[in-house]
Amino acid sequence: MPRTLLVIDDDHDIREVAKTSLELVGGFRVIVAESGQRGVAIAHDSRPDAIILDLMMPDLDGRRTLAELKRAEETASIPVIMLTAKVQADRQELMGRGAAGVLVKPFDPMLLSDQVCEILGWVPLEKDQP
Amino acid sequence: MSHPEYEAQVRAALEKVWRVSRHEALSRLATLESFLHELRSGKTDERSLSSAQSAAHRLSGTLGMFGLKEGSACAAEVESLLCHESGPNIARMGKLVGRLRILMEEGPSPTRTWEKYGQ
Repeated sequence: MPRTLLVIDDDHDIREVAKTSLELVGGFRVIVAESGQRGVAIAHDSRPDAIILDLMMPDLDGRRTLAELKRAEETASIPVIMLTAKVQADRQELMGRGAAGVLVKPFDPMLLSDQVCEILGWVPLEKDQP
Repeated sequence: MSHPEYEAQVRAALEKVWRVSRHEALSRLATLESFLHELRSGKTDERSLSSAQSAAHRLSGTLGMFGLKEGSACAAEVESLLCHESGPNIARMGKLVGRLRILMEEGPSPTRTWEKYGQ
């Protein structure tokens, strides 16, 4: 049974490329959300194995979305990887808020799955096969 | 599946996304060019600055996925310039936006994205 990832990003291109990459290369099942509010609702209902969350979004931004996810008992234990185009983003600060790791945009679609697995300590799919 | 097999599928998917997204990306570039024109004529406001910052941010976060890594780097520098309290360096911004125009007119080269896999 493939692991499920939830990708929350307000940019359509990033959602599409991340979904394609994570499904084809990583063998994950991928759900996408276009906003923090929608992402929190989906996380609550679907309980994904991990969440990839954009930092800069209108309305409920990545930090506030992360806080909501960590506040709710149903989603608090789901690891969240922050996705940001800000090279100078404060990795330690985000980790201190409960993020499992940070990925920098633009990501390489061929490497994204391996990077996610590395952050989460997961074995990449192809290495997991008998 | 080996990486080259994934690659063909991911590349095809990326090309499909780029075909749909190119117009939007060029529109974001036009926003930067328009703001640059306003800067040169001394007629900028907070709204146009905010639009330009958003356009640069989105270009920096997306172009590299399509093989335009230099484009992402240019857009990231433009975004950084637009955040300077004293205002952006107009000459530098002009060079970067001009370079972005050239790169985006050329379009992505998928091989730039897949160098690590020996393509």
